Amino acid sequence: MSDIQLKNIDKAFGKVEVLHDVNMNVKDGEFVVFVGPSGCGKSTLLRVIAGLEKVTAGEIHIDEELVNDVQPRERGIAMVFQSYALYPHMTVYKNMSFGLKLKKHDKQEIDHRVRHAAETLQLTEYLNRRPAELSGGQRQRVAIGRAIVRNPKVFLFDEPLSNLDAALRVQTRIEIAKLHKKLDATIIYVTHDQVEAMTLADKIVVLHDGRVEQVGAPLELYNSPANLFVAGFIGSPKMNFLKGTVASVKGTTVEISLPDGKTITIEHDAPGSENDQATVGIRPEHLLLAGPKEGLLKAEVDVVERLGDVSYLYCKLSDGTAIIASTPGTSEATTGDTIHLTARIDKIHVFGSDGTAWK
Amino acid sequence: MIYPLLDSIRLSLYSTDGSGTFSFAGLANYIALVTDPQWSEPFWNALLNNFKFFCVHMFVQNPIGIMLAALLSLPKLTGRTTYRTLIFIPTMLSVVIIGFIWQLILSPLWGVSETLLSFVGLTDWFQPWLGQEGTTLVTLSLISVWQFVGIPMMLIYAAMLNIPHDLVEGAIIDGATHWEIFWHIKLPLILPTIAMVSILTFVANFNAFDLIYAVKGALAGPNFSSDIMGTLFYRTFFGFQLQLGNPTMGATIATMMFMVILLGVLLYLFILQRKLRRYAL
Amino acid sequence: MHKAKKTVSTLGIHIVLLTYTLIALWPIFLTIINSFKSRKAIFRSPMSLPGIDTFSLKGFIKVLVRSDFEIYFMNSIIVTVATLTLVLLLGAMAAWALSEYEFKGNKWLGLYLAIGIMIPIRLGSVSLLQLIVDMNLTNTLTALVLVYVAQSIPLAIFILSEFMQQIPKDLKEAARCDGVSEYTIFFKVILPLTRPAIATVGVFTLVPVWNDLWFPLILAPSEQTQTITLGVQQFIGQYVTDWNAVLASLTLAIVPILIIYILLSRHLIRGITAGAVK
Repeated sequence: MSDIQLKNIDKAFGKVEVLHDVNMNVKDGEFVVFVGPSGCGKSTLLRVIAGLEKVTAGEIHIDEELVNDVQPRERGIAMVFQSYALYPHMTVYKNMSFGLKLKKHDKQEIDHRVRHAAETLQLTEYLNRRPAELSGGQRQRVAIGRAIVRNPKVFLFDEPLSNLDAALRVQTRIEIAKLHKKLDATIIYVTHDQVEAMTLADKIVVLHDGRVEQVGAPLELYNSPANLFVAGFIGSPKMNFLKGTVASVKGTTVEISLPDGKTITIEHDAPGSENDQATVGIRPEHLLLAGPKEGLLKAEVDVVERLGDVSYLYCKLSDGTAIIASTPGTSEATTGDTIHLTARIDKIHVFGSDGTAWK
Repeated sequence: MIYPLLDSIRLSLYSTDGSGTFSFAGLANYIALVTDPQWSEPFWNALLNNFKFFCVHMFVQNPIGIMLAALLSLPKLTGRTTYRTLIFIPTMLSVVIIGFIWQLILSPLWGVSETLLSFVGLTDWFQPWLGQEGTTLVTLSLISVWQFVGIPMMLIYAAMLNIPHDLVEGAIIDGATHWEIFWHIKLPLILPTIAMVSILTFVANFNAFDLIYAVKGALAGPNFSSDIMGTLFYRTFFGFQLQLGNPTMGATIATMMFMVILLGVLLYLFILQRKLRRYAL
Repeated sequence: MHKAKKTVSTLGIHIVLLTYTLIALWPIFLTIINSFKSRKAIFRSPMSLPGIDTFSLKGFIKVLVRSDFEIYFMNSIIVTVATLTLVLLLGAMAAWALSEYEFKGNKWLGLYLAIGIMIPIRLGSVSLLQLIVDMNLTNTLTALVLVYVAQSIPLAIFILSEFMQQIPKDLKEAARCDGVSEYTIFFKVILPLTRPAIATVGVFTLVPVWNDLWFPLILAPSEQTQTITLGVQQFIGQYVTDWNAVLASLTLAIVPILIIYILLSRHLIRGITAGAVK
């Protein structure tokens, strides 16, 4: 298993720039997830690491070796495609042994590896079937098996769960997590689903418009998002963003006024000046119901969704901003109610006008 | 449309005595065609020539077509459309024109071929191939191949485009070279199309007439060495020079052609199509 | 090092393709350039382009004077256009009926068409000729049109019905809900949507009909009714030693189809590729 280092990666397709100055490291045995909205460049980044695309600038190192001009087959990687890419005319066994046969491995060795991988993935009884005879989940496991068999340095997964139904997705997600532990593998995993990212990753790389927005452990991204984008992307339902204005600045102490006139006070090194715009972020699960005096915000309830274990209150603030508050259990609120909300100061995020986090 | 076909078959069961009266003769015509030397010699000759014609197409035209299709379908190939359009031009032209152009080129009088061969140092190799008994049929076959390569090329190209790019990338990661990808992945997946191309070649070849007629006339010389079923049929039915037209024997020959083609088509439909599954891609 | 390998293989591919393209085009090119040269030049330096002193239109003049080239050309156009119109109209309607309406014998009709496509109409020439003679249509362009329509319709119906089946049902149902008559649906909704297939069928029908030698030879060989293909063949047979004239007539026969091809090549290729992947 191996280290991967990406230095200043740029990638353009003709005139269209898809990746900008991407820098990151993957440590041996880590499970790294590339996450971001459609078109953010995550799949392209994966393909660049695989060698299916060439970088326009920058360096890729696998195990300290510069691999920019090295063919995919010599990089020691294996890839699981979103569409599985199984050879339809070959049996599961042949699909899994194809790469090894090309490298002219000894027949017994191939058989041993294939059967071992099949056992790990519970595919043994399907070895003689063709992909057309398998279900989606089974085909996915064959795709994974094909990767395992090659004992690669790095596993690359390109949105492997997208084509599965919801229930199967959860199940397979857990299996992939278990596989990671069992094989002690280095895995790079691409998805647009932040739930998959949060649950599977040791480290998440959030990408947006070809740029790395933040790299960190899942809870780090949850608790301390570096900017507006990451704050809004991680966490479901989305974080609430309120319009705030800087009321006063005294040294490093900043007072920020909220839509209803209440203020909060935070410490920040370069807080700007009075009347600057700022964005205040509070997650729905951190908003607490309060009385009119302790409440920081006054809101009118629009719609209430009751899911049994949690209720979502869709509200409007006095300045028209729409927010969501989540309360455990079944809420008694109804449309038209006026409620007051507050939050713990350590759960309130503030972002400057350029989007970066102040706190 | 089927009517003329059936009527031809009906006609073949009759015989005529040259004065215009028809009398039912059952299968006598067929028997004569196959056994009576007056008819059977030309018949078997033509049939054999047709098979030779077919073999040249199967083993020259189709492999070249496959190779061109494989090259054209490679990703990131510049000028692909241009190549395609240009290579297909001969197919669009009339066989008569093609036949005559090649006649001119291969003609010893003009000397163009000799000049070309001299560029490659093979001047002595040149022969008036179109005029010699042993080489006429093969030469005509190659001219036909030259003209029609475009068709298998296009059909197989389409089939290759249909192979999902993912599969090719998976194979690249698995470590395959372009040749290995072609041989192990692409070729097995396009086998149904190759089978279809083969049967189309078969039908087209057994229908061939225009080229031979245009270049060699209805006598398909020299000495009938380029005679195929089509020319034999034409000559028998309409008569040529000293030979009187014989509509019933003509109909017999046409029916035989139909049988041969039908046999091939049935073989294709019931055996090949079953065996070569189209994989869900 | 790996980069060098890649460049070599790309170069190799282009060399192969270029070589074959040359092989494919060179005979045609040779014919065309030589038709514009004087007889001496044709023999002395066949491969060179016509220069000022070698340029000559002798061949073309002879062709246009000695043969009724204009008549042949007109005949080809009349036959081709008439066939095309009928095939497209009847073919489209039949394809629509086949793909849309359930009626008894649908399957048999399908089989009939399949056989119609695979088995060439020429084999029935014997009776066809008889039929034409009985109808007093020998040496008429009408005979040719009738036969060509019969020849081309199965493939036309096949391609068009495959295409029509792909039109989403919702479109047709919405039109029906709007209270539109079936004929109107056909002409205003379906036909425009199948334009690519129609273009394809058009080219597939046009080329064999224009280039056909067999039926003009058998059914309409008279001077007045010869098509270009037959005309050129006969002309060449007659003037076989007059190289200028021969090359000129060949060029005149090539140019129209080449022009049509270049204009329609996109449609043709799209059509072949669409049909093959059935």
